[in-house]
Amino acid sequence: MTLAACALSALLALARTAATSPLSTESRPAAEPRGQPPSGKLLDQRTDEIGALLRCPVCQGLSVADSPSTMARNMKAEVREKLAAGYDQEQILADFERSYGEFVRLEPPMRGVNWLVWFGPAGMLLAGGAVVVWALRRPPRPGEEKAAPAPRRDPDPPSRDTVPADPRLAAAVRRVRMLAYGWPDGTSPKERS
Amino acid sequence: MATTLTSGAGTARAPRLNRKVLVAGLAIALPLLAVLVANLGRDPHSVRSPLVGRPAPPFRLVPVGGGAPVALASLRGKPVVINFWATWCVPCFQEHAALVASARTLTGVQFLGIVYEDDEARTGEFLRERGTSYPSLMDKDGRTAIAYGVFGVPETFFIDPQGRIVEKYVGALDRDAILSLLSLARGGGR
Amino acid sequence: MVPTLGRTLILLALLAASAGAIVGFATGARPNAAGWRWARRLAYAFAAFMALANLTMEYALLTHDFSVSYVAHVGSRSVPTWVSIVSLWSSLEGSILFWGLVMGVYVAVATWRKADDHPEYMPYAVGVWLACGAFFSFLLAGPAQPFATIPNPALDGPGPNPLLQNHYLMVIHPPFLYSGYVGMTIPFGLASASLLVGRLGNDFIRPLRNFLLVSWIFLTCAIVLGGWWAYEVLGWGGYWAWDPVENASFLPWLTATAALHSALLVERKGVLKGWTVILVLATYLLTILGTFMTRSGVFNSVHSFTQSAIGPTILAFLAAALLFSLVLLALRVDSLGSDGRLETGPSRDAMFLVQNLLFVLFTFTVLLGTVFPLVVEAVRGVQMSVGRPYFDKMSVPIGLALLFVMGVGPALPWGRATRQQLRGALLPPLLGACVLAAAGFVLGARNVWTLLSLLFGGFTAQVTLSEMFLPVRQRMRTRGEGLAEAFRQAQARGRRRFGAYVVHAGAVVVIAAIAVSSTMGSSKEVQLNRGETTTLGAYELTFVGAEQVSEPHRDSVRARVEIRKNGRSLGTLFPRMSTYENQREPIGSPAVHTGLTEDLYLSIHNIDGAAGTVGLLVLVNPMVSWIWIATALMALGGLVALVPPLRGATAAAAAPGTSAVAMEGSS
Repeated sequence: MTLAACALSALLALARTAATSPLSTESRPAAEPRGQPPSGKLLDQRTDEIGALLRCPVCQGLSVADSPSTMARNMKAEVREKLAAGYDQEQILADFERSYGEFVRLEPPMRGVNWLVWFGPAGMLLAGGAVVVWALRRPPRPGEEKAAPAPRRDPDPPSRDTVPADPRLAAAVRRVRMLAYGWPDGTSPKERS
Repeated sequence: MATTLTSGAGTARAPRLNRKVLVAGLAIALPLLAVLVANLGRDPHSVRSPLVGRPAPPFRLVPVGGGAPVALASLRGKPVVINFWATWCVPCFQEHAALVASARTLTGVQFLGIVYEDDEARTGEFLRERGTSYPSLMDKDGRTAIAYGVFGVPETFFIDPQGRIVEKYVGALDRDAILSLLSLARGGGR
Repeated sequence: MVPTLGRTLILLALLAASAGAIVGFATGARPNAAGWRWARRLAYAFAAFMALANLTMEYALLTHDFSVSYVAHVGSRSVPTWVSIVSLWSSLEGSILFWGLVMGVYVAVATWRKADDHPEYMPYAVGVWLACGAFFSFLLAGPAQPFATIPNPALDGPGPNPLLQNHYLMVIHPPFLYSGYVGMTIPFGLASASLLVGRLGNDFIRPLRNFLLVSWIFLTCAIVLGGWWAYEVLGWGGYWAWDPVENASFLPWLTATAALHSALLVERKGVLKGWTVILVLATYLLTILGTFMTRSGVFNSVHSFTQSAIGPTILAFLAAALLFSLVLLALRVDSLGSDGRLETGPSRDAMFLVQNLLFVLFTFTVLLGTVFPLVVEAVRGVQMSVGRPYFDKMSVPIGLALLFVMGVGPALPWGRATRQQLRGALLPPLLGACVLAAAGFVLGARNVWTLLSLLFGGFTAQVTLSEMFLPVRQRMRTRGEGLAEAFRQAQARGRRRFGAYVVHAGAVVVIAAIAVSSTMGSSKEVQLNRGETTTLGAYELTFVGAEQVSEPHRDSVRARVEIRKNGRSLGTLFPRMSTYENQREPIGSPAVHTGLTEDLYLSIHNIDGAAGTVGLLVLVNPMVSWIWIATALMALGGLVALVPPLRGATAAAAAPGTSAVAMEGSS
């Protein structure tokens, strides 16, 4: 399959899956095909895609696309026929739903309380995100403020190019800089120059 | 490095309830338990048919062994019993006798069999051996089974004279069940 | 005689567990040496009785004693011996008996290891463990009785479910699964103990984390083994279908992984104690929910056992355990307190929180999807399905986000990072990201999700490798040690850290392999006559003919298919359809040619030996072997992380000159 066809079908698939959760009301029998009939490799691919959305009634949890059973193969043939006749995905799924009930759709259509399963995770993400943000922005509680003494104004604030006066402290600082920055002897490039 | 807060230690024994934790926990636990309890005893494998109360899907199928095709539309005006069956299905064999007997006595009702995923020669032989009093139709591409939402065999549909499905019965029928469901169909359905 | 012996042993186990639970709680409330001694003895007694009961059942299975109800259920004289042995866990009552065995072993080992430590916590922990043990003993004594006496035993039995006789993976998947699942009882007891005592010190978080890790390793292997089994046995060519029972094993894994990470923060900074305890409790509760989902018959699943009276009993235990956990949390979680503060702003601490959020979100989503059909049934009275398309759609973004965070987190320093540090940490791994994504593109990946997972995967892989060998590089640079010596020394001091990064490396490969195998495979359905050849990609398949194979427990028709790849012969594959004694429908077994880069997978749709025709499903699945290999790597990493550091190493770390190295090495 050419790259362009791949990209196009991928985009179409993305758009279709985005649109598959429409606010569909009780489906009325649709007499007229709505979509454009695909052909060739695209027909195969669309058949597989819609087959993956239908539950094989005689299997345990398998989709029509995956199941080897006779029923599944008959259903797949029907999907293919309907696609070739120009019906679109929602019409085909609604057709099977008329016979088998909502059970046969592996992806919950957007109706009734089904919005909960589609938007619940997003809601949880927002709620959880808010909790995380709150946990990370939490201002210091009064106890902590008292524990941390007010910073003294240091006339000689430390920087990377100076070492403390105390010799043992200076040695430790040099050692840390050697490990952390890779400076030989822990002297900064500025110090050396 | 880290400022040390006083940890609770074993001294904070006063049972003060953290309401937030309790409420959040119950908000998750109670609905979950309620849903599970509500579904106890339900069999997830028996799916109710959405076709009950709706017009029966039309079909036009050829009988086993050949002959003129039978269309559902031509049977308007009297109750119809459609029985999906197969020779490899043990309960179908069990109910066959009851169905054949009922079809003989109840002449105002049209009994039909539709063969589900089976071989025509084998079906013909079965019917010849066991005898039958009503036609069985071949559903070669399985479309009629799909249209009727068949999950397996045997499944029997009772249709009223106006062509609406009044009940779907899953499993082997006996004479009493046939009679009681037919009275529903004759009464024009609910 | 055997049934009576079995029933007696179970009753004794029930008595020991009940008494031990009471003694444990009493000793926890009023610590005393005698009480602790008795609690330990009762724990060992419980383990011993459970082990003996299991041995009795194995004896009954191997001697085909059909007077025992469970053996009458699943035993058979015509199955191979290994099938008789594994029938112990093949069906409902036997699997609960096996659960009791695993629990007994875990409780005994945990009690023995901690006999002299943490005296204020352990009696409570033992009390909780034995309370759970008492429940399962009660199940075995009552609703799920495997040792009921059959008055007129038959001469032979039906054998276990044929799907479970098809493959050797049946031997190891359930033991691993139970070792992971049941093992979560131990951290549950330890976490409950910390709540009951009202404290969670650094000394206690370590055993909590270690036992959690042990169970986690088993559970990780078990989940993937289950996928591998489905792949090799079920014939549709995939390894994960988001079936309710599969999800049941996945849910506690998610919270356990989150708990392992937040436990790290507890140890390091003394924060998130309450949250870690909540996660550990949730993990255990999810295992009970999972066992309810599997055994109650309420969920529509391919794996579930048949409906029985066990469901309501387990539900009651779940409700009781939930209530216990919630009340305990509400009363005591505040007293755990915290010893420090989380770093705000961009830092590794913050990424830990983000990761925890993602895991909890994942858990919530999978749980919601699995339970949702029940919700709709209760609310709208309509039967509906939430299947693979939904779960795939939801899990792909979350999985990718986790993959990304797994890279960003370790790249960032522990403290608040400056802009310069952020740049230095996050820009270099982009190289790895682009390399892997480009490689994937060149090899044919066009699916946008696959490319994203390769992009993030490369990023995370580079970070992981870099962090994994950071202590080694530092030692080489500052001490002038050679590579081997530096590696050895770094291992001695920082094994936990190293092991954790090995697990991450494995996880990256697993996610990349899943992405590639899901989107870059090819398939073909074809009808072949005898002697006909078909091709798929570089493979040539010739159907030589159908053969009949008779075994004592099954008759099979198998297709002899010769494989060639690029002209070179790869041998013969034998997909088959088997008819078992008591099953009407034949069951297909796929044949898989496993390769390092891809698998060739054959499954029979229909076969007619007389007419010489076969309907085959041919699949080429890329990178599937890498899922199994990388999971083994994850388990290995977990094991490495479990091994404690050498005594000498910690002493040397105390010396002043090396303090900086030790600080870096233990991060």
